[in-house]
Amino acid sequence: MSFESFVALRYLAASRKTAHVALISTISIVGLTLGVAALVISLSLLSGFQDRIRAQMAERSPHLSVSPERGAALSDPEKVRRVLQDLPGVLVVEPVVEGRGWLAAASGGAAVPVRYRSAAEGELPPVPDSEEPPIRIAAPIGFRIGVGSGDSVRLTSSRVRLSPIGPLPVSLQLRVADLGRRGSLQRTPEVEVPEPVARTLSGQLSGAHAYEARLRDPASADRAASEAARQLGRDYRVETWRERNASLSFALRLEKLVIFATVALVILVAALNILSNVALLVVEKKRDLGVFTTLGASPRSLAGIYLVLGTAIGAIGTAAGLTLGVGTSWLLDRFRLVPLPPDVYVFSHVPFAVHPREVFLVAVFAFGTALAAATLPARAAARIAPGEAVGLSR
Amino acid sequence: MPAAPRMLAVRAENLSKTYAGEAAPITVFRNLSFELPVGVFAAIMGPSGVGKSTLLHLLGGIDRPDAGRVEVFGVSLADLPPAERARFRNARIGFVFQFHHLLPEFTAEENVAFPHRIAGLSSASARQLARELLERVGLADRGAHGARALSGGEQQRVAIARALARNPGLLLADEPTGNLDAESAARVFDLLEQLHRERGMSTILVTHNPELAKRCDKIFTMSREGISPASSFVERG
Repeated sequence: MSFESFVALRYLAASRKTAHVALISTISIVGLTLGVAALVISLSLLSGFQDRIRAQMAERSPHLSVSPERGAALSDPEKVRRVLQDLPGVLVVEPVVEGRGWLAAASGGAAVPVRYRSAAEGELPPVPDSEEPPIRIAAPIGFRIGVGSGDSVRLTSSRVRLSPIGPLPVSLQLRVADLGRRGSLQRTPEVEVPEPVARTLSGQLSGAHAYEARLRDPASADRAASEAARQLGRDYRVETWRERNASLSFALRLEKLVIFATVALVILVAALNILSNVALLVVEKKRDLGVFTTLGASPRSLAGIYLVLGTAIGAIGTAAGLTLGVGTSWLLDRFRLVPLPPDVYVFSHVPFAVHPREVFLVAVFAFGTALAAATLPARAAARIAPGEAVGLSR
Repeated sequence: MPAAPRMLAVRAENLSKTYAGEAAPITVFRNLSFELPVGVFAAIMGPSGVGKSTLLHLLGGIDRPDAGRVEVFGVSLADLPPAERARFRNARIGFVFQFHHLLPEFTAEENVAFPHRIAGLSSASARQLARELLERVGLADRGAHGARALSGGEQQRVAIARALARNPGLLLADEPTGNLDAESAARVFDLLEQLHRERGMSTILVTHNPELAKRCDKIFTMSREGISPASSFVERG
């Protein structure tokens, strides 16, 4: 062990007679520990929620979506379907047929303009005791036209068909299967209808406006999208579920960054505490510095003592904080210690997820800040006037 | 045939030192010159406040003069960069203070080992050498004790052992017995004298005690006018 480390570590573990020195160091360590733990727990809490949100995004969104780069319909829908079907890890490929129309209660009342699209197979269960095809309406739309689950509605397409009496709009009566209350986890269609209904209303009897695919592993969407884009060429736009939810993803990242910056202020406060405590030690140990100078210690060596001290405080505080933070997060998540009201939240308890990369970033930030805080008083130690220092006891 | 000039352990030329006082600068001394031949045990006496401790600090390189030059064994301390000056001090100069200045968080053995550790020796080697030196000063069984557990005389003997750890050629002792009772003071001075002779050091002792000063090879008197050999004592050696 070097001379500097020997002295610094002895200062850190002072004897009973000089306990105030150890107390100063302990306060610095505890401050850093709490700051690091707070940051780790905050990030774990945020990650827990965000991981669940992303999982729901991946579950409810199509993992891959292929639409025309220009125009409303795919120029070669069969090619698109085949390319998607042949991608590794694809579970299902479904066409998307969509259009615009007006929706009103079958009993009468004002109609509201809507966008409708075909639902994935099996998404819309039939309504019991009804021969009318099912329809899912976004809740705000349902409230506007005054319908709920089980009610009949009339969906009128913007397309017209020719009749003996002239052009007539294409219109169908459907039964509300679900007044869907969707959050912002996906781009929510206002109205979803079975594929045959969508084709009738839009007139798209074959082909599709787009194709959507679901993957066995949503995390492989980027790779699959690159391969699909390579095979399909520039006439098609290939999007992943992340890209379709880019604004939400950005909001989640921004939220985490803001939380990191805010809670990291606690670590900065702890670092300032380290700075002041190490500076206090430099003043307290001024005579020691003078003695070391008379014994032949260089100014760099004197600074080294306090840098080692700051390093030790930083290392101990960071390690203790990481242990406390990770351990607390694990316990809270493992034993579901923070329940959530089920009528308000989708989750039954507050989820905590510890990400190793985030823990590493917190460790680097905390340790680096502590070390930087000790640099200023260490430099002051190097500039001590030894003659004055050893003369202090006279 | 004229005698060959003695080699000088210390040569100080035209030293001046001023400190910033609260109201006005305080000039400690001006144009002070001093020489100490190798192997001489010199005492410096004088009233308080004339700058005896300041002179020792300048001679030992732990303070810098405002003017003048200090050479120790022919080396100008001011010409050395800080790191080299520190290494020179570690190897060639030892300090003993009136208040022992032992570090309370460390044992007697660890205190004595410090000069070796600063020089880069391993902990084990440094402690072995420290134990040998503690044995020489009669404190072999006190190495594991903290400074506060030692008596005043023992503390000063540990401080002497620490100062001599690296076998310096020059020992600067600033009233090492000033804080001790008469018996302890005598024992400490005896030890200093013995070690001076054993190791062939050059020693400067600041003291208020004329009885101890008489036992030195050379006595200097310092006043506000400067420093000069004392006229009332016969130079020995």
